[in-house]
Amino acid sequence: MAKLFVRRRDGRIEVKLNDAGRAIAREAFGRVYVAEHDAEHEWHRTLNAPIDPSKDADDPLAVLARQSETGSNAELAVATVHEEFLNDAEAWAWLTTMQVALRATAVANNLHDEETLRESEPATLEYIRVLQDFLHGLADVL
Amino acid sequence: MPSVKPLRDTSTDTISQTSSETSVLTERPWNVVVWDDPVTPMKVVVVIFKRIFGYSDNKCTQLMMTVHHEGRAIVWSGAADRAQSYCVKLQVAGLLATIEQDS
Repeated sequence: MAKLFVRRRDGRIEVKLNDAGRAIAREAFGRVYVAEHDAEHEWHRTLNAPIDPSKDADDPLAVLARQSETGSNAELAVATVHEEFLNDAEAWAWLTTMQVALRATAVANNLHDEETLRESEPATLEYIRVLQDFLHGLADVL
Repeated sequence: MPSVKPLRDTSTDTISQTSSETSVLTERPWNVVVWDDPVTPMKVVVVIFKRIFGYSDNKCTQLMMTVHHEGRAIVWSGAADRAQSYCVKLQVAGLLATIEQDS
C-alpha cells in the first residue's frame, strides 16, 4: 500500500491523500470540532469523559483545558486539510483529532471490544479501517 | 568586625522541612491510567506516550503492551495536579485515560 504521509528531508510531512481521502479527513476533523462545541452531539460525551470517575464532576479548569486543546487541534486540522505539506505541530493536530474521531465513532456505535467490532455494520467498519490507515501513516512519520 | 545576623530565622527550618517531607512521603500518589479499546492502533499509542511523557521507545512499547494485554496500564504516578494535567493531555490525544489515587 502506498504511503499516505511521507517525511521529507527538509522535515516537512507530505500529504499524499487523494481528494476522497481529504474529504474523509475534513469530515472527521469537522465533526470533532462541532462535537466539542455542541453538548447534544453524539460524540460530545466521549470527548468529555471524566478524568476522575470517582467524582461527580471534574475540576472545571481541567474541563476547560481539555475542551480548549481539543478544539484548537481540530481547528488547526480543519484549517490545514487541503495543505500539501504539514509541519510537526500540524501533523500532531491531525493525528490527535483523527484519533478522537476514531474512538468517538467506536463509542457512539457501542464497539467496546473485539467481538462487537467484528460484528459491526460494514460501513462503520470500513470507516474505522480508513481512519486507522490514516493514523498508521501519521504515526510512521511523527 | 560586626556580627552578621541572618536575614531570616533559621531555627525552625529543620522542623518545617521535616514536616513537609513527611507530608510528601505519606501522601498517596495519584496514578494516570490508560485503558484498552478495540480500535486504537498500537503504533499510535506508542507515539502519543512518547510525545506526552518523553519516555524511551522501549518503555512506551512496554506500556502499550500492558494496556493491550491487561486492559489498562499505569503510565505515570505522582502529585495530583500533574496527574490531572497528564490525563487531560492523553484525553486530548484521543486515548481513554483516567486518574486514581494509589491504594
